[in-house]
Amino acid sequence: MQALPLLSIMLFLPLCGAPLALILPSRPGFSRALTLVVSGAVLLLAIALLLFYGGENGGALARLTEEARWIPQLGISYRLRLDGISLLLVLLTSLLIFLCVPVSRRSVKQGQAVFHCALLLLESSVIGVFLADDLFLFYLFWELQLLPIFLIIGRWGHEHRLYAAVKFLLFSLAGSFFILAALISLFLLHGRQSGDYTLAFAALRQTAIDPGLANLLFLGLTAGFAVKIPIFPLHTWLPDAHTEAPTAGSVILAGLLLKTGAYGLLRFAVPLFPQAAAANTTLLLVLGLIGLYYASWIAMAQTDMKRLVAYSSIGHMGLVVIGIAVQTRTGLAGAVLQMLNHGITTAALFILVGMLDERFHTRSLEKIGGLWQQIPVFSGFFLFFALSAAGLPGLNNFVSEMLILLPIFATRPLVAGLGLAAMLLTLVYLLRLVRQTLFGPVRSTMQPVDLSLRETCILLPLALLVLFLGLYPGPVLGLLMS
Amino acid sequence: MMHDVWLAILPHLLLAGGAVSVYLCGAFRPGNQGLVFALSLASLVLAIAAAAVTPAMAGAVGLLDTGAFSRFYLLLLLAVCLGALLLLQRYAHLRRLSGEVLYGTLLLAALGMIGIAGASHWLVFFVSLELLSLSLYILIAIRRDQPLAYEAGIKYFVMGAVASSFLVFGLGLLYAATGTLAIAPSLAALAAKEDMVLSLPAFLLILAGLGFKISLVPFHLWTPDVYEGAPAPVTALLATGSKLAVIGALVRFFYAVPAMPQSLLAVLWLLAAATMLIGNLTALVQEKVKRMLAYSSIAHMGYMLMALLAGGRQGFTAVLFYSAVYGLMDLGAFGSLGLMSPKLRDLNDLQDFQALGYRRPWSAALLTLSLITLAGLPPTGGFFGKFLLFTAAFKAGFPWLAGIGLLSALVSIFYYQKVVVSMYLRDGRKTGRRVAVDWAGGVACSVIFVLLLWFGIMPAYLLSVVERALSLN
Repeated sequence: MQALPLLSIMLFLPLCGAPLALILPSRPGFSRALTLVVSGAVLLLAIALLLFYGGENGGALARLTEEARWIPQLGISYRLRLDGISLLLVLLTSLLIFLCVPVSRRSVKQGQAVFHCALLLLESSVIGVFLADDLFLFYLFWELQLLPIFLIIGRWGHEHRLYAAVKFLLFSLAGSFFILAALISLFLLHGRQSGDYTLAFAALRQTAIDPGLANLLFLGLTAGFAVKIPIFPLHTWLPDAHTEAPTAGSVILAGLLLKTGAYGLLRFAVPLFPQAAAANTTLLLVLGLIGLYYASWIAMAQTDMKRLVAYSSIGHMGLVVIGIAVQTRTGLAGAVLQMLNHGITTAALFILVGMLDERFHTRSLEKIGGLWQQIPVFSGFFLFFALSAAGLPGLNNFVSEMLILLPIFATRPLVAGLGLAAMLLTLVYLLRLVRQTLFGPVRSTMQPVDLSLRETCILLPLALLVLFLGLYPGPVLGLLMS
Repeated sequence: MMHDVWLAILPHLLLAGGAVSVYLCGAFRPGNQGLVFALSLASLVLAIAAAAVTPAMAGAVGLLDTGAFSRFYLLLLLAVCLGALLLLQRYAHLRRLSGEVLYGTLLLAALGMIGIAGASHWLVFFVSLELLSLSLYILIAIRRDQPLAYEAGIKYFVMGAVASSFLVFGLGLLYAATGTLAIAPSLAALAAKEDMVLSLPAFLLILAGLGFKISLVPFHLWTPDVYEGAPAPVTALLATGSKLAVIGALVRFFYAVPAMPQSLLAVLWLLAAATMLIGNLTALVQEKVKRMLAYSSIAHMGYMLMALLAGGRQGFTAVLFYSAVYGLMDLGAFGSLGLMSPKLRDLNDLQDFQALGYRRPWSAALLTLSLITLAGLPPTGGFFGKFLLFTAAFKAGFPWLAGIGLLSALVSIFYYQKVVVSMYLRDGRKTGRRVAVDWAGGVACSVIFVLLLWFGIMPAYLLSVVERALSLN
């Protein structure tokens, strides 16, 4: 136990900042600055934790565990713990929220105070999901994420924002329903067995459950998480939500919320019911592969760039599901790394598309072309991130894709082969995206300006991370493999 | 001993005295609205204080239960009435409602409520129920400029009379079968009877009578009309106080009957399932917000009936906890609706709410939080309350009922969402004259707001209060 509750500070700093952001609604600059400072502080804290506790493959992280009495009547306690996986995801969260502030500088004009309040609330809830070690606490944060993102899509989104926001909300809540039902059943089963009614994760893992029931509960939890990941066929909310959300909303959805789904699957569903997870490996693999192929296939037909990137998200998350399903240590490390990579790359792509939208007021592939001649710096970044998403060797996605797929060759060559083939499909639609927009004739009559300093500063750290994770993934993998 | 008796009925005396003095004020100093408000406020606050400081005594004084369980509902109901009073003040003032009638009758209604929840004898129960109903008929129809309010008053009156006759008939059969009118012994004796010829009709008639009062499906049809017609703050009282009083009595009844006859169990199971499902599904298609909230309150009675059915320590804990949360959230929802309503007509259509979040930020925030609580989303007390309810039902061996409840609760989120979306996300007139919230409404709103969040984030305190209330019985 630490003298200073670092994890709680990291968790509650944005939550305390959220109401503060509201106090001067007439001065939007204030809320922006406040959010920048708060999320920056969280980012620094996360980096500090990585530097001071991340050594020796994250062994020291266990010392950060926190526990406090909360609702003793139901065996619910406030329990936080940090390990390599959650540390990396928390880092990603704080970085992306930090970047969302300058990203929305232009696109969010009205109600900035509320927007930044929602951003901070979201940061706390996502970090809470990644830190919680008590299932009740986890569920609380899990649900808490919905309201701010619902608000962000519904208030600052594009034309059909309400439809998309409500669809997202209903899908997510339906998923939560399955999670809650599974949690209550597990809570009661464990209590009946041991006489100790608790929702602590470590205790619930010990529950001995009849395989049939375990299978049911595992599928329930997985269905709940699958909505967020999203796994085919529960993905249909995603293209709408992504397309209609403002850029910051898309960044958060792709970079953070999809990660919470995958995190729930690998942190809770699989460890709570390991036998059931093993029994359902094939199902998950098949669904992951379908997601991969189906999303790529649809992505090829898209003309709206945001929709195209959204479908590529589904594909990439399908790969994550495959990595989690095989349940090898390398596969899991690959899956988490893929989550990180996807968060960085896709967020960057959404930011880039958002910048195009600000310049051309359209996201249609048919109306934009020849950017390489007009705005070369932008085009350079665009090409770079597109290639990263396509899995070019030397860049980040390549590492995680290989980590996920190569070990499967030994056990399930067919799955691995199909997975690799799908990489080709990804390459096809991403190259189509690049060719349409960057090369060819200039299609728009507008004269766009190249990236401003602010925009470059947003993209540069993401680009450096792509390079770092692609060329030197060793330290990160060390954290994940332990 | 004599001393204890006076102490135990002190809250009742204060309320009755308050009501009489408010009425007298109307006779001798007509039109002095500030005075009557202050008088009723004082008598309610004093009653709460009297109830809070005197220690609970196990057992009964005369025909009134004075145990810790009674005390819980006594305090809860008085607090709900106090909230309704505060939310009414501005509303009544703007619409020139007669304060003497309004506040005096409100105090009488409060007296009826605590009588219902605290009665240990059917006679007190019935008289209190009638006192409450009569007061509510007046309160519902208090806006003389509104035909809908008249209609609602008459409707409630007719329905209430029918329900009362069912109840009396049931009580008559109960007396015939058991020879006593003390609540706990009579119910225990009735349930223990092998021969169901008298006991089943008695149970069913009493159930029907009470079913009307807390609007269980299929006795619910009056609810939307009355809730729509009554002035919003009165609806707040109608939805919370009058229902919670009966719920408190129902906890006592279920407590008295540990082993229920199978046939009755099946009937209750069906009632709970139907109430949850039909309440939520019908709310889904409502165009008017007040009607929608009415159906939502019907559904909430279904959740509570489910936990009552589950019974046992967990079930009753859940019901008591949820009673407190339910009282707060419906008070918040209808109360804030009343605060935001224009003078001539209460807000009701979804269009009325468009962009209201920008024009009336504070009241709209309370309405939003109340709706989130009603929807049972964290981090509000509604989530933790529902967690308790459904866990209790699962544990007591009603997985299907709990499943139906969970599913219908999921459905319910869709209609609550519509109001919030309308207030914040739909286009509409965003600017306008800012109307300041009055002090009484402001205090009530802020307290409700804080409590709703507190019960959700730190439920341990309320939970320990509830457990103490149940353990000392």
